[in-house]
Amino acid sequence: MIDKIFFNMTRTSALLILFIVAWIFVVLFNHSTEAMHAFGLDFITQDEWAPNLEKFGAYAAIFGSVASTFLAMLLAVPVAIGVAIFLSEIAHDKIKGFFGVSVELLAAIPSVIYGMWGLFYFVPIIRDIFGGVGIGLLAAGIVLAIMILPFMAAVTRDAMNTTPDILKESAYALGGTQWDVIKDIIIPYAKAGIIGSLILALGRAIGETMAVTFVMGNVHHTPSSILDPTTSIPVTLANEFTEADSSLYFSSLFGLALTLLVMSFVVIAIAKFYFLRKVRNGQ
Amino acid sequence: MTATQKRVIANRIVLTLSTLSAVIALGFLFWILGVLVMKGLSALNWNIFIFEGAPPGYAESGLRHALVGQAILIAMATAIGVPLGILAGTYLSEYGKNSKLAHTIRDISDIMMSAPSIVIGAFVYAVVVMPMGHFSAWAGAIALGIIMIPIILRTTDDMLQLVPGTLREAAFALGAPKYKVIMDVVYRGAKAGILTGILLGIARVGGETAPLLFTSFNDNFFTTNLNDAMPSLTVTMFNYAISPYEDWQQLGWAAAFILSMFILGLNILGRLVLLMSRSK
Amino acid sequence: MASIIDIKEECALQVRDFEFTYKGAEAPSLKKITMPIAKNSITALIGPSGCGKTTLLRSFNRMHDLYPGNVYNGEIEFEGRNILSSKEDLIQLRTQIGMIFQKPTAFPMSIFDNVAYGLRLQGIKNKSELSDRVEKALKDAALWKEVSDRLKNDANGLSGGQQQRLCIARAIAVEPEVLLFDEPTSALDPISTQGIEKLVIELKERVSIIIVTHNMQQAARVSDYTGFMYLGELIELGNTENLFVTPKEKLTQEYITGKFG
Repeated sequence: MIDKIFFNMTRTSALLILFIVAWIFVVLFNHSTEAMHAFGLDFITQDEWAPNLEKFGAYAAIFGSVASTFLAMLLAVPVAIGVAIFLSEIAHDKIKGFFGVSVELLAAIPSVIYGMWGLFYFVPIIRDIFGGVGIGLLAAGIVLAIMILPFMAAVTRDAMNTTPDILKESAYALGGTQWDVIKDIIIPYAKAGIIGSLILALGRAIGETMAVTFVMGNVHHTPSSILDPTTSIPVTLANEFTEADSSLYFSSLFGLALTLLVMSFVVIAIAKFYFLRKVRNGQ
Repeated sequence: MTATQKRVIANRIVLTLSTLSAVIALGFLFWILGVLVMKGLSALNWNIFIFEGAPPGYAESGLRHALVGQAILIAMATAIGVPLGILAGTYLSEYGKNSKLAHTIRDISDIMMSAPSIVIGAFVYAVVVMPMGHFSAWAGAIALGIIMIPIILRTTDDMLQLVPGTLREAAFALGAPKYKVIMDVVYRGAKAGILTGILLGIARVGGETAPLLFTSFNDNFFTTNLNDAMPSLTVTMFNYAISPYEDWQQLGWAAAFILSMFILGLNILGRLVLLMSRSK
Repeated sequence: MASIIDIKEECALQVRDFEFTYKGAEAPSLKKITMPIAKNSITALIGPSGCGKTTLLRSFNRMHDLYPGNVYNGEIEFEGRNILSSKEDLIQLRTQIGMIFQKPTAFPMSIFDNVAYGLRLQGIKNKSELSDRVEKALKDAALWKEVSDRLKNDANGLSGGQQQRLCIARAIAVEPEVLLFDEPTSALDPISTQGIEKLVIELKERVSIIIVTHNMQQAARVSDYTGFMYLGELIELGNTENLFVTPKEKLTQEYITGKFG
C-alpha cells in the first residue's frame, strides 16, 4: 500500500519534469500567437521594434543574440582550447590544482557580476580604444566570452582527458612532440567530445541574460559595426517585460522568449545528443 | 632545417601560445575577482545589515531587505525544488532505470539544466503573475524551484545509482518492502551525495537574476509578505548598478560580494561533504 | 647477489647500476640494476606484478619523462652514449628505440596513415617512398595480405590481433635498432598471440628485442635470454633454457615452479 503510494509519488515527480517542459512550450506558444497573427514571418525578418506604433520586428534582437554569441565563441574558443591544452598537457599538478580552484571560484560568481564588471571596467576601455559609446556588440561579445571561458576550458579539458594515456604514449614512443600528439592523436580522438563541449558552451551563451544586459545597449537596431549598441533576445526581455503596456507588446515578448527557447533547445540538443552521446557510446 | 627541428619549433610555439592563453584567461579572471573583492570590501559596513533600501543620498541605507528577501526566496525555492527533484531522481534510479521513459526524462532534464533561465521567468510570469495580477515572492520562488529540479534530479539519480545493488538485495532479503529499502538503505547510502547536490543546487539558483526580474520583481523596502513583490540581492544589485547614483552602485558591489561569498561557501561546503563521506 | 651471465654477442644496450625512483617515492622502484641486452636477440623480463619489469622497460625509451618528477640514476649505454643524460634528444631516441604496448593502440586514422605516422614525423613526404615503406612494414608485420585492399579504412575496424600487428608495423616502419614489447599479447586471444610470437621471433634478425611478459611459457617460447626480477631487483639473467631448467638462484626457482607469483 505505502509502497504503491511512494512509487506513484516518485513517478509523478519524474513525469512532472516532462509536463513542465511541455507546459513551458505551450504557454509561450499560446501567448505569442497574437504577435504571430499580427506579423507572421515579419516578426523574425523585420527589425523595426516600435512599441508606440505597435510594430514588433525581432530581427535585431535575434541578430544580436546570434552575433554576440558568435563573437564570444570566436574569442573564447581558441583561448579555451589553449587553456585546455595547457591544463591537460603542460601544467604541473600544482598549477592544475590552482587552476581548478580558480575555475570553481569563477563558477561561483553570478553572471550579473560579470555584467557589472563589464559595464564599469571594460566598457570604458573599449570607449578609449575605439571611440563611440563603448556599449555595444563588441563589449557584449567580450564579456560573454570571458564568462563562458572557464566552463568551456574545463569541459574541453575533460573531453581531451578522455584520450587513453596508452594512445598518447604510443605516439610519443614514435618520437612525437607534445604538439604532434595533441593534433594527431588527442584532437582526432576527442573530436566529438570537444565539439560537443564547445556547442554546449554556445547553448549557454545564447541564453545568457545578465552578463550582456549591462553592456549591450538595448537598442532595437541591427548594428552596422561591432561597436554599435544593439540588443539581444534576453536583453530585450530583461529590459522590457515589466514595461510592456499592451497585449500585442506582451505577445511579442513571449514570441521572443519562445524563439530563444527553441534556439537554445536545438543547440543544446545537438551538443548532447549528437556529439556527446557519441562520446558516451564510444567508451 | 630538418623535419624534426621544425616539429620541435612548432611544438615550442604551440606550447607558448597555450601557456599565454592560460595567462590571459587567468588575468581576466583575477581582474574580475579583484574588482569584486576590492569594491565589495570597501563598500561593506554594518549599516548594510541594519538598514533597508533608501533613496540615493541617504546615509542610512542598507541591504537588509534584499538579504532577507533573498533568503526567503531561496528557502521557498528549495522547498519546491528539493523534494520534487529527489523524488523524480528516485524514480529514475530505482524504478525507471534503463527504460525509455527514464532516459527521455534524463535527456529533457539535462537540456533544461542549460536552458535560458530568463525563459523560465517569462513562463512563470504567464502562469503565476498574470493570473494573480501582481508580482509575488511565490512567483519568484516557483521560477527558481523549476530551475532547481533538474539539478537535484540529476545528482540524486547519479548518487543513488552509486549505492551498490547488493545492499538493496540484502535489505530485500530481509523482507523489507521497496519503499523501506529505498528510504532506509538507499537514501542512507547516498546521503552525502544528495546533500552535496542540494547545496550545489542552492548555490546555482542563488546567483540567478534573470528569472526573478519579472516574477518576484523587486522592492526597495523590507517585506515578508509572500503575496507581494520581494526584493532579492541579485535584482537589487542589478538595479543599483545601472542606476546613476554612486552610493547605490557601492551598495550593488557590496551585494555582489556578499552573494558571491555565500555561493562560494556553499560550493566549498558541498565538496567538503562529499570528500568527508568518501574518506570515511 | 644476483647472478648475471656474460653474453657472447655484441650488446645493444648496457645497463649499469641503474636506479629509478617515481615522483614523490622515498625508495627507488628499481635498485642497482646491471644487465647487458644482446644485439639481435630477444631478452625477456619476467617476475611477479610490481617487480619493476615494466618500469625498467619504460626507462629504455625514457617514457617516464612524460610524467614529471621521476628520477633516473646510473647509466644505460646505447650506441656509446648514456641515454639517461639530460642532454639526450628524446625524439631521436624514441625513433631508435620503439615500443609496443599491452593493448593495441591504433591511432584514430586510416591503416595507411597509422603505419606512415612515424615516417611522416621524420619528414618523409614523398608519396611513393611512403607507400613503399608502409607496404614493406606491413609485409614484415605479416599484415599486408589482410589489409592491402583497404589501406584507407579506419584502423579501429581491425581485430585486436590485427591492430597489434599494425602497431608493430608502425614501430618497425621507422627502422629502429631496438623494440620494446610491454606484455604485447595480454589483451589478445591465443591464436592472435601465436601470430605475434612468431612475428617477434622473425623480427630479431633486424632489431634487438626486449619483451616484458606476465607469461613464463611465452618467455620460454620466444626469448634467447631471460631476466627474472623481484621487488625492483634483477635476481638472475641467463640463457632462457638454462634459467628455466637450471636456475642459479633459489628465488628464481621458486618463481618458475609456481611457489609464488
